[in-house]
Amino acid sequence: MSPIETYLVTGVLIPLAGFVLLAFLGGRLGKPAAGWVAVLAIAASCGLSAKALWDWTHLDAAGRLAARTGPYEWARLGDTVLTVGVNLDSLTIIMFFMVTLISTCIFVFSVGYMAGHSDEIDHVSKYHRFFTYLCLFDFSMLLLVIADSLLLLFISWELVGLCSYLLIGYYFHKKSASTAAMKAFITNRVGDLGFIIGLGLVFVHLHDLSLAGAAAKFRDAWAAGSPLFDPAAGLLGLSPATWMGMLLFCGAIGKSAQFPLHVWLPDAMEGPTPVSALIHAATMVAAGVYLTARIFVLLTPEAQLFVAVIGCITLTLAALVAIVQTDIKKVLAYSTISQLGYMMLGMGVGAWIAALFHLLTHAFFKALMFLGSGQVIEGCHHEQDMRKMGGLWRKMPVTCATFLVGVLAIAGAGIPAAHIGLGGYFSKDEILAVAWHRAYGREDHGAAQSHGSVAQANGLWRMGKGPTAPEVSVADIDQFIPASWAQPPGEHASESGGAAHHRPVADATPREETHPGAAQAGHARAPGPRWLWIALFVVPVIMAYVTPFYMMRAWWLTFMGRPRDHHVYDHAHESPLMYLPLVVLAIGTFVSSYFLFRPLVAEGAVQMSTAPFLTMLYDGEAATAEHAHGVPIDHAAHRALVPAVGFAFVIGFVLAIAIYGRGLALATKLAAALRPLHTLLEHKFYFDELYGVVLVGGVAALRAVSYGFDKYVVDGLVNLSGLLTRVASWFSGVILDQGLVDGLVNGVGRVTYALGGLVRRPQVGRVRNYILFAAGSVAVVVLWAAFGRVK
Amino acid sequence: MLTIGLTHYLVLAAALLCCGLYVMTTKRNAVGILIGAELVLNAAALNLVAFARYGAGGLDGQVATLFVIVLAAAEAAIAIAIFVNYYRVLATIDADRGDTLKG
Repeated sequence: MSPIETYLVTGVLIPLAGFVLLAFLGGRLGKPAAGWVAVLAIAASCGLSAKALWDWTHLDAAGRLAARTGPYEWARLGDTVLTVGVNLDSLTIIMFFMVTLISTCIFVFSVGYMAGHSDEIDHVSKYHRFFTYLCLFDFSMLLLVIADSLLLLFISWELVGLCSYLLIGYYFHKKSASTAAMKAFITNRVGDLGFIIGLGLVFVHLHDLSLAGAAAKFRDAWAAGSPLFDPAAGLLGLSPATWMGMLLFCGAIGKSAQFPLHVWLPDAMEGPTPVSALIHAATMVAAGVYLTARIFVLLTPEAQLFVAVIGCITLTLAALVAIVQTDIKKVLAYSTISQLGYMMLGMGVGAWIAALFHLLTHAFFKALMFLGSGQVIEGCHHEQDMRKMGGLWRKMPVTCATFLVGVLAIAGAGIPAAHIGLGGYFSKDEILAVAWHRAYGREDHGAAQSHGSVAQANGLWRMGKGPTAPEVSVADIDQFIPASWAQPPGEHASESGGAAHHRPVADATPREETHPGAAQAGHARAPGPRWLWIALFVVPVIMAYVTPFYMMRAWWLTFMGRPRDHHVYDHAHESPLMYLPLVVLAIGTFVSSYFLFRPLVAEGAVQMSTAPFLTMLYDGEAATAEHAHGVPIDHAAHRALVPAVGFAFVIGFVLAIAIYGRGLALATKLAAALRPLHTLLEHKFYFDELYGVVLVGGVAALRAVSYGFDKYVVDGLVNLSGLLTRVASWFSGVILDQGLVDGLVNGVGRVTYALGGLVRRPQVGRVRNYILFAAGSVAVVVLWAAFGRVK
Repeated sequence: MLTIGLTHYLVLAAALLCCGLYVMTTKRNAVGILIGAELVLNAAALNLVAFARYGAGGLDGQVATLFVIVLAAAEAAIAIAIFVNYYRVLATIDADRGDTLKG
């Protein structure tokens, strides 16, 4: 293995070692020590990943290619070779770094958080268990990140699911926590079922479970016009390849809490707050998006549309529900679901880079906000209801400030003219830009103008990217990105070929030659009706206004205004062990918005760009990946949407402050005025109730049927056989045994007794009688001897 | 003149035996029963001596009679010992009372 691979593999194994150590010796280490062992493990891991990142950014293209040594043979199934190795590319490196860095912050925070929490069940401390699970969780997630085969990915995928179950149910003596843990696990199993069927399809159709191998085989099948892509060969008018992609994506629906399997994530708030942060930022939900990114090359246009629609539905539902939540953690949970929806939407519309960029920035600010909420909850005597908080900025200045950073980042705050902004300002807007392009991009420029502000955005965007001002985009990038990794190796060709948006036909032609099957099978045409694509742009844009609203609402209710509950307010405090990670993450939020993250993800895209659909679908025309997803789209993209969403955060913030600025009075009136809507949102669109009726009710009905079957059929058979046995045993017992056998035995006894009675009669116990008998007998003998023989 | 012959001895012995048997069957006193048994033994011994005198067996009868006398002595010793114990247990030597083994 190359040094970088060694760093990564060691980085994966250290948390595993921590897990083993804590699992066996954790109880002996005791309360603070066990936590610090876990922190040490993940910090070592983080150090190694930083070293790997540093080395990686100082390697040239050839060096990076050489650094990847795998895959190694693992096992053989028939003629299919299962391989194992490190999936060494820019995305892996940056994800690894993100996961370990955020985990380190969360682990340190956990030590502080758990110090003030009860960890005893039946008077036995379960403290070390918490950190044991955390270590296992990180091990699983890191393994998932470096896995280069779908099989290895699936294994770690399941481990992540297990760990989430263990951690959500950490307070398992609480009914709600154990129920939430089971709900999370079972909901995930539903998605995993699709995933494993998808894996089976990959195995059957492509005979290769390694990511690179499967992608290559998929590409070959595509080029050869395989029946895999024939809609007639599949079900419901969708080709087998589409089904494969959709089923693989099902796993991500479960893990990333997408509609309709999103119900577990809000309930998962039952776990300790650091766990929520870990699940929401670095591990569990990120795993789903990461999986989608990795299988993106296996998604057909129809499957991509499926992903986009699921993402769009999810982000809409979650954003609306988040408005009315009063539990600070629930607001964050729904905002996570909503942001995950944005990522999935990005994946679906082909904004691969933007989606992952959003994942990385979101990881930082969501971890930040969750830890902030943990600090608030811990400081406020385990009070989670925002209606009882307020005015906490006096007591928790650091938490308040860092939380605000997170709110600004998730709201996509920035100054549109200058390239200053936070997190979502770049990443979310870029997703929206690509969504816009899918909706309107193929239209004639003039026709698009009629679409008002959107078309205006179109014009701006074209200006930023177009041939008339190519230097703008290049300058934008160079401004923020160090030269060493500004331009991924594969990109030079396309740059020189022209950064123009409208590619000459000559450039497009070779690509069509490469994939002759594309044109023949008609795959170049985007699936789905036009209005759907427009909805996929318009709805997320509207929701981009909702996001700042509910986040500002949460922040304002918690930290601003007057204290509404003096018991809570008086108790409030913050501790350094908990706010130091917050500061680190706040800085990380700033840094991740500008440096390192997006370029590395873009490089990852180049490595993925060999996929047939990735590039074609983005423009609906044969463009190259570098062109569609490379650096040129970077800051130009969000600028394109300035009129549409550039000031969304301002409007959202102002609206939130207007309503909640003076406490809850106005909000209560509004809620009363919009009673039906408010009730609908408060009940989370009745999803839990619906599932309760349909799924739980269905299971209950099935139970009733099974119970009837068991009671009347199975029990009947059992009782019948019991009856038969009783008759048979009565026959053998009463007739045979008691009658015949016992009769014989008793008969023998009775005869003996009677004989004994007979014999006993002469034995009268008198010596004289005996003598008389003896004498008489002798007399008889003598008489017989004297006279008997005479004859 | 009446000559004492074998028959006389045998008749005497038979009479003696009958006396012994009579004593044994009628006496309730254990010692009486023992005495009756001695009579029976002596009747037998008398027969043996008589046959030794008139028969062709030589001194065999005499020797056997000596054994009978020794045996009677031993028997008397053992019987008396039994009676002593019998008395200790039952505070009587009435042989009819010794029926505690009867079921």
